[in-house]
Amino acid sequence: MENSNKLSQFASRFSSTEITGLLPMVDVARAFLEGNDFPTTRVERFKYTRLTKLANAQFESSDVSLPSDYHKHQICSGAYAIYNVNGKVFLPETALPEGLSIDFISSEKALPTSTVKDVFAGMNVLYAQSGVCVHVAKNMVLDRVIEIVHVCTGSFAGFSRNLLSVGENAQVKVLLTFVSEQTKECFSHVHTSIQVGRHANVNVEKVQIESSEMFSFSDEEIWQDADSVFQINTLTLDGNLVRNDLHIQVQGEHAETHLNGMYMLNGQQHVANYTTVDHQVPNCESHELYKGIMDDKSLAVFNGKVFVQQDAQKTNAFQSNANVLISEDASVNSKPELEIYADDVKCSHGSTTGQLDDEALFYLRARGISQKGATQLLLTAFMSDVLGKISIPEVKNKVVEVINNRFDWELTL
Amino acid sequence: MAGYTENELAQDLENQEYKFGFVTEIESDTVPIGLNEDIIRLISSKKEEPEWLLEYRLKAFALWKEMTEPEWAHVHYQKPDFQAIAYYSAPKQTKKYESWDDVDPEMKETMKKLGISMEEQQRLTGVAVDFVMDSVSVATSFKEKLGELGVIFCSFSDAVQNHPELVRKHMGSVVPMTDNFYAALNAAVFTDGSFCYIPKGVRCPMELSTYFRINAGGTGQFERTLVVADEGSYVSYLEGCTAPQRDENQLHAAVVELIAMDHAEIKYSTVQNWYPGDKEGKGGVFNFVTKRGMCHNHAKISWTQVETGSAVTWKYPSCILKGDYSIGEFYSVAVTNHYQQADTGTKMIHLGKNTKSTIISKGISAGKSQNSYRGLVQINKSAHNARNFSQCDSLLMTDECGAHTFPYIECKNPTAKIEHEATTSKIGEDQLFYCMQRGISEEKAISLIVNGYCKEVLNQLPMEFAVEAQKLLAISLEGSVG
Repeated sequence: MENSNKLSQFASRFSSTEITGLLPMVDVARAFLEGNDFPTTRVERFKYTRLTKLANAQFESSDVSLPSDYHKHQICSGAYAIYNVNGKVFLPETALPEGLSIDFISSEKALPTSTVKDVFAGMNVLYAQSGVCVHVAKNMVLDRVIEIVHVCTGSFAGFSRNLLSVGENAQVKVLLTFVSEQTKECFSHVHTSIQVGRHANVNVEKVQIESSEMFSFSDEEIWQDADSVFQINTLTLDGNLVRNDLHIQVQGEHAETHLNGMYMLNGQQHVANYTTVDHQVPNCESHELYKGIMDDKSLAVFNGKVFVQQDAQKTNAFQSNANVLISEDASVNSKPELEIYADDVKCSHGSTTGQLDDEALFYLRARGISQKGATQLLLTAFMSDVLGKISIPEVKNKVVEVINNRFDWELTL
Repeated sequence: MAGYTENELAQDLENQEYKFGFVTEIESDTVPIGLNEDIIRLISSKKEEPEWLLEYRLKAFALWKEMTEPEWAHVHYQKPDFQAIAYYSAPKQTKKYESWDDVDPEMKETMKKLGISMEEQQRLTGVAVDFVMDSVSVATSFKEKLGELGVIFCSFSDAVQNHPELVRKHMGSVVPMTDNFYAALNAAVFTDGSFCYIPKGVRCPMELSTYFRINAGGTGQFERTLVVADEGSYVSYLEGCTAPQRDENQLHAAVVELIAMDHAEIKYSTVQNWYPGDKEGKGGVFNFVTKRGMCHNHAKISWTQVETGSAVTWKYPSCILKGDYSIGEFYSVAVTNHYQQADTGTKMIHLGKNTKSTIISKGISAGKSQNSYRGLVQINKSAHNARNFSQCDSLLMTDECGAHTFPYIECKNPTAKIEHEATTSKIGEDQLFYCMQRGISEEKAISLIVNGYCKEVLNQLPMEFAVEAQKLLAISLEGSVG
């Protein structure tokens, strides 16, 4: 009976987690997975994501070796760098300042209980083997970036789990880098729990430059305490099938949340961004901005949900999604949702889909700018507000470098 | 306004009974409760239907038995027991009325209470009314005048008898019986409804109107409306619904199909005021309706709805923009109060080139109600230069109600332009203050603001309906501001 469906066949290659902090969650996850197969497109959360390729993919553990040059994937040179290479974690070699601790996730006794929304989140609880936990003590203002670099090679498949806990008044910038190289079919699912303390300021940049064979799943769950500011930029630049699931629980008053995203797809890529902002207390605000450019036969999905609970009066929540299709066969599915149970709120969402404006192109071309130059100008303008939100200069440079390679541009910012 | 505070007003309105809650005591011809093939055969034979229609019904019933009720909507309710419903309830009558004077006086009284006194309407408004009470049309006015133009406007059963070729050709072509659970149920057990055919090039000189009422207890209303506008024609169709006050939930599962041929235009307006249940959320109508229109080249279909009634609403008037240059419009005001739940919206399926759609949806939630907009804008590969604009606003009146937006936007063509925006808020205190310091009482100020908020939609309604709709808004809302 164990191998009766594709999901249990898929799961059978993983061994049970040895992370003690996860054990309290195991029952819930197991119950969720019980009898479940890979979700079909009839399941609302996977309405636009076909998992057949993943279900049929071959992953050979024999083919997984650690590359020697994994250091080159680090984007931010001055960062405290942590590597997760095919599930093996390497902690930073430099000395850490007092108040900052970075350790293996297995050393953490209690992990926050994360929400199990789909089978992948469930499997992560059951099969996560590695990961890192980072504690930033209260009042600590960290001027160096913490970068967690996830590297996948060969035909690796595995789950990892990170915890970032930021104390009161602390300020920190974190970079989550996802890269893969020389892959065959390759799968990774990374869960990151982030606890943001009172008055803390946390800035997360998530950069995904995955290979065209990569199934890259990741989810982040964030708990925000009062008066905190949290910003996350999800920048998806390459990959085969990329799913990002972002769940923010705003639990303290006067907290501020910013979520931005940029996705640039070509080939047959599929990128899905699912976001939930759950306002549970009054007087908070959230701002969400996701923008995407779809080329070739790519398919993008944006599903943003703003949830305002009954007690969360005086919530201001804004959500916006804009898409540009630059080829005949690209498509986009956007579902911006509001679910509101409090009355004294200001909430709005907007979604647009279109192409480059012919008149704008003509205007530029009439002034002697080439087709390529005009396209570059307009697309750059389209994305500039998201690019402008990136707080780490080296990340911005990296993004520009990838864009330039993609479109053969000479863009400088 | 001394002495009459907002709270008192709220109390008054809360205590206000459903003003259409009366039962007409007309002898009804009701079939036994329950649903099986025999009941369907019985309905079909009572209506002297041709063989093909009976087969259609039985096929739909077989399909329905395999289906399960949809659960994706953002509503919670006790599912109806489909075996506890009488599927046919016709006012007992042996002969058709020769003239208006022959109509049962009690029934005339009902119509008067509904505010659609026929004499008056015939004289003053020029609206031709096809009145459906418990599923069978009892009187149709202005038939002659319409007949001169070749417009067919009659009950569905009459159409089956007199124009079988038209009915057979179009019925189920837009909403097939396989479409969904309630459409299949309707196809199996529908009792009557309205049929309308506008010939080529004819501009229907008057607004056609149907008034639905659920009368007998324990009956479901399953009517079917089919409007066919032939090439280059125009028709404006009004539909109003009320139901008497009852403790148990009544089921209403209608199907409306519109077909707009090349260059035709159909304007379909609904004021839905089914009994919403009392303020404890007891009783009320379950309104599970499938409405869809098919637009051929250069055709236009415009849906306007004012939804104030029903305990649970599940309704998505949609347009299939099949022809090039076709246009779909959806204007909606949905009001929920007390424990009402509404999940309503539209689907715009763009298939043809240069198709356009506009969606304006205004939701107002009060009391402990839940009001959701759910919409789909789908631009298919073939729909070059498609254009959509959607606006979904929600207004919250109390801190216990909910307003939700679930738009699906699917785009497969790069030349399409889609815009969607939604806002949720309550009536601004600054707006109220502005009105009140100019001497406008609070309740009037609220009414002013709400009316202004809905204006874009109300403007789309034909005159007679717009007045009724404004009154309905006033009844449903003003007292609920907390």
